[in-house]
Amino acid sequence: MNKGKIFKLAKGFRGRAKNCIRIARERVEKALQYSYRDRRNKKRDMRSLWIQRINAGTRLHGVNYGNFMHGLMKENIQLNRKVLSEISMHEPYSFKSLVDISRNTFPGNKNVVIPPRKVAI
Amino acid sequence: MKMVTAFNGNMKKAAAGLRRINLEGLRWRVFDAKGQVLGRLASQIATVVQGKDKPTYAPNRDDGDMCIVLNAKDICVTGRKLTDKERTLKDQMAKDPTEVIRKAVLRMLPRNKLRDDRDRKLRIFPGSEHPFGDRPLEPYVMPPRSVREMRPRARRAMIRAQKKAEQQQQKADEMKKGKNGEVQEESA
Repeated sequence: MNKGKIFKLAKGFRGRAKNCIRIARERVEKALQYSYRDRRNKKRDMRSLWIQRINAGTRLHGVNYGNFMHGLMKENIQLNRKVLSEISMHEPYSFKSLVDISRNTFPGNKNVVIPPRKVAI
Repeated sequence: MKMVTAFNGNMKKAAAGLRRINLEGLRWRVFDAKGQVLGRLASQIATVVQGKDKPTYAPNRDDGDMCIVLNAKDICVTGRKLTDKERTLKDQMAKDPTEVIRKAVLRMLPRNKLRDDRDRKLRIFPGSEHPFGDRPLEPYVMPPRSVREMRPRARRAMIRAQKKAEQQQQKADEMKKGKNGEVQEESA
């Protein structure tokens, strides 16, 4: 009973871990621990991925992620990052209007460029 | 755009492995390395090659644009990095200027299984000609950069060097004027 369940959970494992009960038991325990931990990690990873996508999308329009979110918070737009990343991928014009709203609320910073003293090779 | 005939030497290397990359919908970005600082340019190239400037970025697949870097021998570094260290930068530039940029970018990419594929998307040329003239190319404008002020000692040294150069210029002018004056007096 227990062995049957363990072998069922051990499908796709490498080497003896899918066939021999002693090794499979250890590996399955570890796999269950990893999946417990990763159910929590997945939420963090997805949020980080959304933030990266939003960052890329806003930088195309000249604003970086920090200033963009600050502007949205000021305007009390409560779209979450998941939705914002989907908009930036699939609805570029709507996203541009969002970026413009954020930019009007909170103007971005300008960089001063002085040519540096470099050694040419 | 100069054509392929000027480039026969390295054509094989330049077009190597192009068939292995799936080129659908990827842009060809052109970076001009003339007068750019090495590390800052390399970090920009690394972001583009990873595909991190597109909102459709996914960490498990490689979606970066093809990057062409021109004028690799005109790259600059600040400070005394040319002659520091045992394996000097100058020797490496004499041997193979493209290796400098390639290593810089490669070390800035994340160390995972996609690193080699991303390396294949980078093409670096020492001069300003390249055999990819027939593709739709897009130049890359570097983002504006804020440079820190020079340290007081360096600034004083630069001012002194400038003054010296000006004095030498003035002396050279006076010499010329003096000679011309004497010649005119003699003739008159």
